[in-house]
Amino acid sequence: MKATRLTSRTARRVAAGALAGATAIALLAGCSASSGGATDSTAAGATTTVDFWGWVPGLEDLVAQYNEANPGVEVSFHRMTGDDGQKVEAAVDAGAGPDLVQLSTHDLPDYVISDRVQPITEYVGDIQDNNTESAWTSVTFGDDVYGVPQGIGPAGMMYRTDLFDKFGIAVPATWDEYLAAARAIHAADPNAYIANLSPSEIGQWMQEVQQAEGSWYGVDGDSWTVGVNDDASKLVAARWQTLLDEGLVTTEQMWTPEYWALVNSGKVATISYAAWFPSLLAENAADTSGLWRIAPLPTNAGSTNSGDSGGAAVVVLKGAADPAAAAKFAAWLNDSDETQDALITVGGLFPSTKNGLASEALMQPQPFYGDQVINEVFADAAENTPSTWVEGPNYGTAQTAVTDEFAKVVTGEQTFEQALDKAQAATIADLKSRGLSVAE
Amino acid sequence: MALAAAPTATRRRKFSAAGRPWIPYLFVAPFVVLFLVFLAAPIGVAIGNSLLSQQSSGLGFGGRELTFVGIDNYIRAFQDSDFVVSFGRVLLYGVVQVPVMMIIAGLLALLFDSALVKAKKFFQFAVFLPYAVPGVIAALLWGFLYQPSVSPIIQAFTSLGIDVNLLAPGTVLWSIANIAVWSNTGINMIILFAALQTVPREMYEAARLDGAGEARIAWSIKIPMIAPAILLTTLSSVIGTLQLFNEPQVLKTITSNISSDFTPNMAIYAASTLGKDSQYSSAMAVILGVVTLIISVVILRITNRRSMGATDGI
Repeated sequence: MKATRLTSRTARRVAAGALAGATAIALLAGCSASSGGATDSTAAGATTTVDFWGWVPGLEDLVAQYNEANPGVEVSFHRMTGDDGQKVEAAVDAGAGPDLVQLSTHDLPDYVISDRVQPITEYVGDIQDNNTESAWTSVTFGDDVYGVPQGIGPAGMMYRTDLFDKFGIAVPATWDEYLAAARAIHAADPNAYIANLSPSEIGQWMQEVQQAEGSWYGVDGDSWTVGVNDDASKLVAARWQTLLDEGLVTTEQMWTPEYWALVNSGKVATISYAAWFPSLLAENAADTSGLWRIAPLPTNAGSTNSGDSGGAAVVVLKGAADPAAAAKFAAWLNDSDETQDALITVGGLFPSTKNGLASEALMQPQPFYGDQVINEVFADAAENTPSTWVEGPNYGTAQTAVTDEFAKVVTGEQTFEQALDKAQAATIADLKSRGLSVAE
Repeated sequence: MALAAAPTATRRRKFSAAGRPWIPYLFVAPFVVLFLVFLAAPIGVAIGNSLLSQQSSGLGFGGRELTFVGIDNYIRAFQDSDFVVSFGRVLLYGVVQVPVMMIIAGLLALLFDSALVKAKKFFQFAVFLPYAVPGVIAALLWGFLYQPSVSPIIQAFTSLGIDVNLLAPGTVLWSIANIAVWSNTGINMIILFAALQTVPREMYEAARLDGAGEARIAWSIKIPMIAPAILLTTLSSVIGTLQLFNEPQVLKTITSNISSDFTPNMAIYAASTLGKDSQYSSAMAVILGVVTLIISVVILRITNRRSMGATDGI
């Protein structure tokens, strides 16, 4: 009994000691951090600094090139990795955000509504003509422009020539042919599948919804409409439900070692995705070089539409010290003639700029794809993408709802249609909780 | 103890009599300041935040303002069936994971305390080592062992003709539990082992004279004597269970069978970063804090009553 009490008291004393130690360390760390900050800030001179966060490969070189040509401006670049994208909002709210950041255009309305970006209409008016109409629309809200478009994601279908040759099946041009091909491939080899359906990969879903002229959001007067379960989505849902129910697709999560093993094993005949995907495929499935070609995304009956999974934009954040300098750099980075080749070849972007689309760098044969000029396919797709998609305010919530529900579809707990209905309800409920008006 | 305390008290009184009554406050100040700044203030901010909501109107482009909405966020959280289910999920997980881990940690501690084990230091270090691996790294390591194409374990099972899927909807929770057991058994073993060292050796001798074997000594003396340490480790394990985040968040990247609101903490993370609703997620965080507090108090109450009953028996 006495011993017991002693033990617990000893334990408490030990804990108190440990805490005191931790306190001392925290205080020391605090001191050194603040003194370090003080010495750093004295270095800044009379030049304007622009903090820029982005993820496109090769931006470092372009930033250096700009800094050399513009002595009055110092652009400092931070490469975004991991969940840096999710830190931007907190950083802006704390007044510690960068001046310029690269964003998915799906996220832009949220930034506009929450007042975290600045309109830059007055600084970028002269580059409007260099951008495709749909790209410019994606950064325009009301009368104001909130960013400079940086690349889009037109869709194409990568396919294994060896598999289609082996089974004597024609490469599908329509979704009806696609289903027939799926059945034929699986019948010819029970280990072969037409595609992998990754429930978490929202871009693959979105490009087909957009192809079918659907949209998650719309505007009706002064209210939002939500179309997560619109007719176009239900058409796509019916297609994949059939493929899933008949066991014609695998359901690995994309980007995992498991997924790349599957792709490398030659069990998957097609991958439909955006223009930035081919270089990643070449990188992760190097052994299959020469076996892949790219065809247009299969079409729906009576339509020549293709799809797009979304693009990016460079935006000037709230609290940027010199919005004019920041916007000027963003415009140079994305729209000047001298940057187009680097953005396409090093950055792997598919341009939404007219000088980029006309660039020779874009239409180069790709050895991994049997020297096919793959961007011809994506350029056609960009031209055939309907402009029906509308970006909306709670994209993050909608996307999470959809992918969470889709996970239960591939395990057979529910159908795509039920999943879409649930995600629709969750998206509407979230909009209403923000006080936004929703027309149902 | 009472005798020892008395002189200290006198000395302290002398100090204050010397006109420096603030000295003790000076010593506790670092703790109090850090406690207020890094614990009390954030909790206060979270509670305050949870009563507000960012409201816009129409399409939302006219700006937005923070409005007081009372307990609306709390009502919304309780009506969110996925959030409520996530509590059930971690409780189910805890009911299995905590006892399994505590039993393994306890058995190992008793084993190391007995004279049976050779190379004691080496084995203790080996058991403790996983605790030194950061949780995210541990989840990444195990993540590879759970994926058929890269996992030697699953490949071994497959070659034996046994089909295992450690990331299926029904198994993924236990795959997470396995990581937690692997990571945390070591530290609990060390705490229990340290407590065992404080048990007076005379008691074992007395027990042996009374004819008790090693098993009987372990059951009737060692375990009751280290009851406070067992309580401490169990309690922190239960709290760790409720705050489950690292392992499922990492495994989420390799399986879609972990939803974004798989555990309460993941639901809070999703609401704040993906859903961008810091007010709603504050309410969810306060609920998680209160639930943790209630469960801790309940465990303390139950075990206190039990250990008191045991004392009466003696």
